[in-house]
Formats: sequence, C-alpha cells, structure tokens
Amino acid sequence: MEKTYNILFAGVGGQGLMLLSAVLGKAAVDAGLDVMTGETHGLAQRSGSIYVHFRIGKPISPLIPYGSADMLIAMEATEALRYIEYLKDDGVVIMSKNIMHPVAETKAVALDKTRKTKYYTLSAVEEQLRKVTSRVIALDSLGLAIQAGNARTENSVLIGAAAACPDFPISSEDLKNAVLSLVPPKTRDANAKAFELGTEAGTACLQ
Amino acid sequence: MTVEDVKRTENSKALMLANEAMVRAALEADVKVVAFYPGSPVSEIMDTFSEVVDHFGDFKMEISANEKVALETVAGASMAGVRSLTAMKSVGMNVASDAMFSIAYTGLKAGCVVIMADDPYAHSSQSEQDSRYFGEAAYVPLIEPANSQEAYEMVKWAFEVSEKYRTLVLLRTTTRVNHARSMTQLGDMNRTPFERKKWKDVKDQYFTVGAVARELKIKLLKKREAMKEQFENSQFNKIDEGEGETGIITSGVCYLHTKEAMRNLGVSLPVLKIGTINPLPESKISRFMKDLDTVIIVEELSPYLETRITALAKDVNPSLRIVGKRDGSFSEALEYNVPIVEKVIATTLGVDTSVDYNRYLERAAELKRDLPERVPVFCPGCPHRGTLWAFRQALTRLRIRDDIVFNNDIGCYSMAFLPPNEFSDSMLAMGASLGISAGMSLVLEDKVIAMVGDSTLYHAALPGIVNLIHHNSNVTLFVLDNSVTAMTGQQYNPNTPFDAGGRSARKIDMDKLFEALGADSVTVIDPYQTRDCIDPIKEAIGRDGFNVIISRRECALYGDRLKKSRGERIPRSENDKETCRNIYACVKEFYCPAITIDESDYKIMIMETLCDGCLECRQVCPVDAPRHIVGR
Repeated sequence: MEKTYNILFAGVGGQGLMLLSAVLGKAAVDAGLDVMTGETHGLAQRSGSIYVHFRIGKPISPLIPYGSADMLIAMEATEALRYIEYLKDDGVVIMSKNIMHPVAETKAVALDKTRKTKYYTLSAVEEQLRKVTSRVIALDSLGLAIQAGNARTENSVLIGAAAACPDFPISSEDLKNAVLSLVPPKTRDANAKAFELGTEAGTACLQ
Repeated sequence: MTVEDVKRTENSKALMLANEAMVRAALEADVKVVAFYPGSPVSEIMDTFSEVVDHFGDFKMEISANEKVALETVAGASMAGVRSLTAMKSVGMNVASDAMFSIAYTGLKAGCVVIMADDPYAHSSQSEQDSRYFGEAAYVPLIEPANSQEAYEMVKWAFEVSEKYRTLVLLRTTTRVNHARSMTQLGDMNRTPFERKKWKDVKDQYFTVGAVARELKIKLLKKREAMKEQFENSQFNKIDEGEGETGIITSGVCYLHTKEAMRNLGVSLPVLKIGTINPLPESKISRFMKDLDTVIIVEELSPYLETRITALAKDVNPSLRIVGKRDGSFSEALEYNVPIVEKVIATTLGVDTSVDYNRYLERAAELKRDLPERVPVFCPGCPHRGTLWAFRQALTRLRIRDDIVFNNDIGCYSMAFLPPNEFSDSMLAMGASLGISAGMSLVLEDKVIAMVGDSTLYHAALPGIVNLIHHNSNVTLFVLDNSVTAMTGQQYNPNTPFDAGGRSARKIDMDKLFEALGADSVTVIDPYQTRDCIDPIKEAIGRDGFNVIISRRECALYGDRLKKSRGERIPRSENDKETCRNIYACVKEFYCPAITIDESDYKIMIMETLCDGCLECRQVCPVDAPRHIVGR
C-alpha cells in the first residue's frame, strides 16, 4: 500500500473504543498491512472524550496531521464534531446517532425555566459536518445492534459501515473475519449480522 | 490478543503498544523480579506483567506501596543477583529519586532497568516535568526510544549496559511512545527457572556516606567515561543522510514527527536521531553539525539537547544557526505533532507547509463554537459523588462553607475541583495534602480539611499523618476507601488482600492503623447511604483534634467486575415520573452522567445503558423518585 489511510476513532470513555481499534488493527495486520496507532489510555474515569489515531499503510508518526484523516469513526455523534479538524475535505464520517449529553449541558437544560435551552442535537452535528464533507454516514447503531440480536454489537455495525466505503483499504471479508475472531464465540452470529446491517446502512448513506 | 503476543515462545512480528513491547523484551531478557506502583502512562506495563505472572511462574512480582519502594525492591533484587525492572511515571521518579541518587553511587549487581515516562501536555499528570535531567544529575545512563520496536530493543540493551557497568539504567519515554501501537519484531523467549541464591555467593557492599561516598564519586566519574565510547557508537544514535546545509537533531517521538514532516514537504535534510541522552554522543553530534549552516533541534519540553548542543557548537561551528526554543521557533510547553514540526522546518527552509493546517484548526473552532464541552466527571456509581455531596451538605448545615480550607490529593477525587463541588484549595503531589494542612493549621483560623484515597494513604500520606497527630494538629482527614487504586485501572494496593495477578497478600487494617497512631476519632461512613453520611461528617468536622472520616465503598468499576465474577447482574435504575417533581437536585448538585432530561416533559431520565444502579441519586432526591427497575 503506497498511500497512508488515516482513521480517527472518537468516542466517550467506557464505549469500547480500544476494542474497536484492536479489531481493526487485527484486520489490517492479517491483511498484511502496516499499522500504527496513537491511543488515549490512562485516567480510568468514564464519560470523558477519547480518541485513537489509527493509521494504515506507510505512517511514520503515531498522530494524524490536521486535515489528513480519510475517515472519522465516532461512537457518539458530538464526538465526531469534536475532532473535525483531523478530517480531510470530503473525508468519510461514520457515526452513531447516539448522543451522550455532558452533565453541565443537562444542568443548563434543566434549570432554564424559559425552556429555551435545548440539548445539542444530532441534526446540528450533521449540519456542521456537512460543511466539511458530503460523505456522512449516521447510523442508529444501537437499533441495528438490537436488530442483529445483541445490543452490545454496536462496534460491529460501525466496522461494517466502514466496509461499505469503496476506498477502504481492507476488504470486507478480512474485516469481518477479524471481528468474528475477536468477539466472544456465543455472540458470533449476532456480530456477523450486525456487520452486515452496518454495511447495508453504510452503502445506503453513501448513495 | 496482545497478551498472547507477550506470552508466545517463538519470534515473530506483532502489533504492540510500546508498554507491551517493553514487557516482552524484559521477559526475553529473563527478568526475575519486577515491582511497580501504577501511574499513567506506564500502568499497562504493570498490568501486562500481572496478566502473565502465573503463566510464566518463573519471576517474582510485587505491586509496591510507592515508586521509591518499587525502585528499592528491584535494586535489592539486583544486589541479590537477578535481573530486575520497574516502571514509573515522571512524578513517580521524584519519589524514587532519593534512593536512585545513592544507588548510582554504590552500583548494582545484576541488570536493573527503570522505565520512566514523561507526560508532555500533562494528559494525566500534575506537570509537564522533563525527567531527562535525572540521568545527568544522578550520573545514571539514560536512553530514549521513538517507537515500540526501539523500546523493545532498548530494554534488552539496557540490561546488558546495566550489568557491564554495574549501574542502574533509565529508559525514558513520553506518553506518545508508551501509548502508540506499531509493528514490533520479537525475539525468542528462553526463560530460566527461578532459583534462590545465597548472599555469600553474590555479596558486595552497597554503602555510601562521607569518605566512602567521596571515593565512590571518583569511581562514578570513571564509570561515566568508560561508558562514553559505547554510547557514542550505539546503534540508537543514527544519522539519516540527506541534502543541504540545514540539518535536524532530534530524539524520541519527535524523530517520527520530523520524518513525516519532511516527507510531507518533499525534502530530505540530514537527521541525527539521538537515542542515548546520557551520556550524549558528543563526538557524533559535533561531526554532524561541523559543516552545517543551520541545525533545527526538535525536542519536546525543556531545551535539554539544545543547551548541550549549543555548548558543543561553540567549539566546532561557532557560526552555526540554531533553530529551537531559544530563538522562539518551538515552545517548551505542550506536546508536538507533525504540523508543529512541519511549520518550523518549512519556515526555516522558506517554503509553505504541505497542508494549510491553520485553516483546518480555524474552521474546526468555528464549527465547534456551540458544541458543549465534555468535562471529566465521576463514573456512574462512583462512591466519591455521594461522599462529596454529603460533605457539602454538612458544610452548609454547619454554616462553615466559607470558613474551611480544603486540601485535595491525587486520585479520581482530585475532580472535586470541578463542578458541582468546586472546592480544592490545593492539590499538589501524592500525600501532599497532609503536609500542606500542617502548615495551614499553624496559621489559619479556618477548619483545615484534607482528603486522600486509600492508595495515596499508603503511598505517601502516612508520614504526614504521623506528623499531624504528633503535633496535636486540628485537621479533619477524609479517607476515600474504594478498595483499589482506581484512577490508573483499579489495581490492587495494601488496602486489598491481593497482589499482582490476584495472588494473595495481607490487607492492612485501616481502622486499627488510625487507632494505633492515636487519631482522636475514626468515623466510618457508607457513601451509598448518602443522607446518613451528613450527620457523622458534621460531628467529625465539628470536633477538635485529628479526626478521620473513612468513606468506604468499592470503586464502581471494580465493584462491577466483582459482581460479574460472582455472576450477579448489575441493577439499573429509573426515574418514577409520577413521583418526580422537577426539583433537579440530582442534576444541579450531583452530576451523574447517566442522568439526562427528557425534553418532552422535562422530567429526568436515567440512561439504562450508563446507570450502575447505585441509587445515590435516590438519596439526594427530596422525594425519592429514582428506584431500581424491577426484574433487572
């Protein structure tokens, strides 16, 4: 692979972002590609903003330069916008429609007696993202996971959607195999289904 | 999966964090004793060793009470004749350094390696400390890798150097190296059985003071001289040939940023990458810059290399232009990335950067203008949330909110400085809340209150506590006993009956400890019975003398793990909307991320996917609206 393909993963602590990155890492390595990541570990608190810089091909630095990510995969919608400086013009955004509201925002919404203060919405996120790219895949990842038979297969939905992108450097087959080899054996069927639902939904969004 | 890569016996390539690669290297080097106190960004080193300690069964491991004890433990093992290793974060070395300076004098026996990680950007530390100075100051060799492969190779080399010169070796990393994953070529794993030794077979003297110290210092200087040649020619100091009169000297992860920046710019400048920070390869540096017109020095934090290179340039190339921190091109603050390095190289060469990075940053700032910030908060189910709520209520009822000083300490509970608590008058270093309280209680009229967690208590707070009790100080101490060292990943500590790998250990009896020390009172509260905590806290704060409030409830993440291992379900809670009267006590005073507002009726809604079922929110609700979901 001559070019480097850059993916920025974003999410909220506790969502399993590291596992998502590990699955993709295995898929890339099994496909014979070189991989490098820059990860957020450390403070164990949940509910903080976290990211993984994930680079396939010929990366040298573990960090993606601004404006150079081919893809942004967000497990929470506002987190996609939080790292938007990394996305190249017309890069792909794959994001869950799920929004986890920060507590300070909840307080502002609750205490405004005029009820004018509203939560930051999914459509506001999408509107901002579309100023940078037309390729936004917003998925009801939880709904699709439940449809697949297991609410905990949201990661597979998102990876399945990545496989729908024509320029993605890892084949759908390799991606799926990596997912299935790393999930608990009894959830394999649900994960396979989640992956397929993700691919279908992703394909639909890109058309 | 990666633990499998650490365990496997054959050599192969693996995608590894540098932290994991260093564990693998130490095991390949037949390390026999490891000891740690956890700290980001090196916690995964200890965690990985913990995961494989039973699998190998041929090395000893301890989770130490603090970094100084960990360093002394591995030094003792080295004196006893086996290879040993510890890892600590930058500020951990501050604690350990007292022993380290003396160990440098006496030297050691078997290979002994200390991994020490700095944290540019202070991702998870109190400061952006530059620990490279420790090597030079203590006369201890210090090396620095750029990625997992080099970290792996350097650990193995460090053991050899340590044995050859009978010295401790410091391996300095930065967060970006510890937490970067890249392909690593592993070697063969040939472990030997653990065998106890006899002191008479390995003995030597490790003693330094006065006349002995003066003699050892002379030997130490000779040792440094002897090391220089090998370090000069080390494979870790390498020159990438290039074109032009401008060259770059760099080290660590900055080397990677530099190489990528040059690729982006389509230029190929000569680069000297330094791996041995102490002793520095002075001859190699001098040769490299002798014929250059300009040298760009790329290093994060202090101008450590720059200062030394400037001194060398005075002799070999006095007219050399040095681009670095002293001329303002680079900052001593924060961490670097490709754009930062690329901009300086581009400016020096008089060309444009490959991408207009500022455009992306400015556009992003505009797009994110209304995006709510995501500030760290306590986890759902965290016992600290209840403790701090009850503490605030007690202060309000005593009407002393403005007549206290609150000295916070290092742990998850450091977040008491954030809303909704916003009280932390100080927060400095492990256990520092006690000493600071000693000074303040000598001077202030106010009630002095300190707070530590269980791990911090045993790490560095005990001397401060002894000091306060001995001096009859009027200080109230909160001990947040959540069973484990929560913030770094819920590791075991002297407050648990477990050691590394879940092996059994002796739990220190905290209540008896305070009694024996002579605390004036010890009050134990359960933060899940949040309302019931207010009165005991009021009483304890109201008393004179040294009074201890132990708030006891395991870390929610650790508690979840225990429940899962026992096959128990984690209960979830819901808001009974019939009962809820939109008082929002659970929102304004509590800040649980599982609680949101239902914008259809403005009642609160508990997110089932996030809730831990602690029901602390019911305790703060004046009408008891939150309740467990029946049947879950």
